[in-house]
Amino acid sequence: MISRMTDAGPQAPMMSLSWVNLAVVVVLGIFSLLFLWLGFQSFGGENPDQGNLYIVVGTAGLAAIGYMFFRTKAISSQKPPVEKAEVVTILECPSCDLKRVRDFQRGDYVYKSDESCTRCEGTMTITGIHRKAEPKKKR
Amino acid sequence: MYLHVGQLLQNQSDIGMILQTLFSFSFIIYLFYAQRIQAMTMLRAVEGTLRKVKGIRDKGRNTSIEAVKEAAEDDYDPTPEVERFLEHFFIPPTSLDPAGIVGKMGQLLNVRENIFEAEVRAMAPKASDSEVNNLENLLEASLALNVYYKVIRHFYLLGKRTMNIYVIMQIHMILPMIVREIEAYSRALQAFRDGTPIGDSVGPLVAARLMHGHEWSDVAKDMVVAEVPYNGRTLVVTKAKGPGGSVGKPGDAIENILNGRKGRKKVDAVIMVDAAGKLEGEPTGGIAEGIGAAIGGIGVEKHKIEEAVKKHDIPMYAIAIKQDITHVVAPMVEELYTACDTAVEIVKRMVDQRTKEGDTILVAGIGNTVGVAQ
Repeated sequence: MISRMTDAGPQAPMMSLSWVNLAVVVVLGIFSLLFLWLGFQSFGGENPDQGNLYIVVGTAGLAAIGYMFFRTKAISSQKPPVEKAEVVTILECPSCDLKRVRDFQRGDYVYKSDESCTRCEGTMTITGIHRKAEPKKKR
Repeated sequence: MYLHVGQLLQNQSDIGMILQTLFSFSFIIYLFYAQRIQAMTMLRAVEGTLRKVKGIRDKGRNTSIEAVKEAAEDDYDPTPEVERFLEHFFIPPTSLDPAGIVGKMGQLLNVRENIFEAEVRAMAPKASDSEVNNLENLLEASLALNVYYKVIRHFYLLGKRTMNIYVIMQIHMILPMIVREIEAYSRALQAFRDGTPIGDSVGPLVAARLMHGHEWSDVAKDMVVAEVPYNGRTLVVTKAKGPGGSVGKPGDAIENILNGRKGRKKVDAVIMVDAAGKLEGEPTGGIAEGIGAAIGGIGVEKHKIEEAVKKHDIPMYAIAIKQDITHVVAPMVEELYTACDTAVEIVKRMVDQRTKEGDTILVAGIGNTVGVAQ
């Protein structure tokens, strides 16, 4: 069932939260660097345990920033929504049984026969059209 | 390490105090704004999908315009007509009084088909019948993409305006399933533009394998039939008329074949071959056998077939070729192509095992016959 709707608001959604992300990254970065600096200061001084804590917190902050950048990159470098499928046409010659596979051409259809056989005088018939097997994705 | 993390929350050190304050502050924020944060996260996911769907919808629109331009006369810009077509809608008959609803639905669908065909012919008067069928299918796929986009946008904007988590949840929960359907339709654009067989063409391809080389004739609108001798039996094979994209009227075809055999041997069995949705974990191209009318759609054709078969009291067998929803309208994958040859062998085995010499068996290849002649 199809229901009608009226257009409301802008046609394209906007990246409304991007400035928030940027602000979070900047604040987190400043604090992380500060904690790391404090950590190295304390580590060489009288209180190495507290230095460890500062370094742990600073490193965690930097890791969080790295994760945010990783996420942003993943979104911005998205592949096109759907890739074009590669299709092949299978032709067979009823006279000499020659079988040939070539790329699909517009106008091809199963049981079309207007292509001459490369081995004999016969006319080849298209017996199949299908997508090329896609290589399995690595996990 | 555990000791260190534990120490972070102790107030003895400066850093512990800072973290304790931050922790308490974030706890209070989360206490009051948890639902809002969740809603924002979900909205963001919907927004990303909406952007992707918009890209696919635009691609569908542009592909349709280009395809119509190619098939139409020179210097003709079909953009306004295509855009008008993409807004077309269908109002199903009321089910308050269900008696006769199948007939009403069938009549409306016929009108819809005729209107679509007339619209395409007006846009591309020089196009052949096959081209008109493919263009019609292409425009229908684009129309479906447009509807998906508008529905997702509706919920996105409504959710953004109200920040109501239940409005946002409705679309967020079904988003993965919708995205799969949208991707399937986007693959259909390529198939219908180029006229390649699709996953749903397995039924017609099996029928074509059986009837190829035999004389065929029209039996109903966009349906053909051929009589094929096999092992002392007669196979009456029917499918939609290819190679243009069409599902034909298999209900009318089967009805006409069964009713039109006066003075000739009546049909002893009906075998229907169709594509069927597979469950996760099942292999693509797997074949299952069963009983009943193997046909999808709204149900008008199924109703006609069941009525006709009941009237003549004929056993009806079904062969389902399993496939994922993403394969149904996409160019046919190799597994489905090879499954068609296996299905032909299964039809023959079924005929050998369940009928005797001299019997007449009706074999119907159900589905869209795009890219498959007879």
